[in-house]
Amino acid sequence: MAKLATGIIIAGVMFGAHGAQAHKVIASVFPSGSNVEGEIGFSNGDMAADTVVEVFDNLGNKIDQVMTDGDGFFIYTPSEKVDLVFRADLGAGHIAEAGFAISDLSDQAGLTGEAQSRANEKTGIKQAGPDGSSRSGNVAISREQEEAIAAIVRDELRPLRREITAYKEKNDLQSVLGGIGYIFGFFGIAYYIAARRLKAEASKP
Amino acid sequence: MHIVDGALAPEVLIGGGVLAVAGLGLGLRKLPIDKIPATGVLSATFFVASLIHVPVGPSSVHLIMSGLAGLVLGWTAFPALFVGLLLQAIFFGFGGLTVLGVNTVNIAFPAVIAGFMFRGVVARSNPTAAAVWGGIAGALSISLTTLFVAISLTLSGDAFIPAAKLVFFAHIPIMAVEGFVSAAAVYLIMKVKPALLMTGDQANEYAVQSSIILAEQANEANNG
Repeated sequence: MAKLATGIIIAGVMFGAHGAQAHKVIASVFPSGSNVEGEIGFSNGDMAADTVVEVFDNLGNKIDQVMTDGDGFFIYTPSEKVDLVFRADLGAGHIAEAGFAISDLSDQAGLTGEAQSRANEKTGIKQAGPDGSSRSGNVAISREQEEAIAAIVRDELRPLRREITAYKEKNDLQSVLGGIGYIFGFFGIAYYIAARRLKAEASKP
Repeated sequence: MHIVDGALAPEVLIGGGVLAVAGLGLGLRKLPIDKIPATGVLSATFFVASLIHVPVGPSSVHLIMSGLAGLVLGWTAFPALFVGLLLQAIFFGFGGLTVLGVNTVNIAFPAVIAGFMFRGVVARSNPTAAAVWGGIAGALSISLTTLFVAISLTLSGDAFIPAAKLVFFAHIPIMAVEGFVSAAAVYLIMKVKPALLMTGDQANEYAVQSSIILAEQANEANNG
């Protein structure tokens, strides 16, 4: 009896200890200025530290590879305008794969270097010139300030992105109960078929 | 434990699929009608077990409960674990649909082996000894699964020894935890419903019962 009680307590502790999650590979990539930031790890919080992440184009050709840091975080600067696939082998049959659409990059000018974006800016000002002084208020933000704001917004959004990734991986009670319901339903049907067969055999002369 | 989509070579996927279908067929053939509810319950147990996390040091492991399924079900563990894996892949994204066959074989076949090795001794022992054997069966089932996973990865191009080592050592905490939980479950079954773990006797009993049921149903059918 004491053992049974211990067993029940152990089971209770385990049920209560953690939420519904499992050791699933999680890979998320998101745009960050002219770079692509990504995170790779397991759903129990272990991150893939110092792992090689291979970068493929949409045809499956390997373009490049990067290493994750100690927190499973990596930054990749695309050199071509193609959709990317990031892939990392975490061993033991765990493959992390995440696709990235190049059109998501906000600062595509960055692809061809800072020089061109500055050139664009200059021409923009020139074109704005004949409009008169009404546009001059918009130019009040310098390039450096703009970049600083972009960096701040990125930093502010990062936790939000992580939360969205975590939310996507969350297994809520409904899907757990739904799964159990499917299982019972499935075996219920199997039981019905088996019972019908039994009855049909029994009614044979 | 669950191999994901894209980790294995196509030949391994096809081979796993064929073996899984063979195991499923065998399991369904050996599924007597009175074992269907038990199969469903163990399938649901397996489905939910992967969501139960046990903290081990800084990390955590999740339960699998395949050994218990093997002990109670024998070959029928194949359909039970297949259904569990299918729904895990659909609902939680564990593993994947293309690797379903390989995962089924990797998890269900060790369960069947552990079941056949320990079923007799568990059924003959008193509850305490049965719990110990049940725990060993649970742990053995996991260690065999790591071996099978390593073989699958080797056939897809990995070197066997490093792959096997990596998978085996990563699963040692799971084996320990799984052993304890299987032991507790077997102890409970031996106390509450030992017939679940009886094999030969139960089969005979079933044969007698089913002939009576058949006779009764035949009469019912005649009565209209």
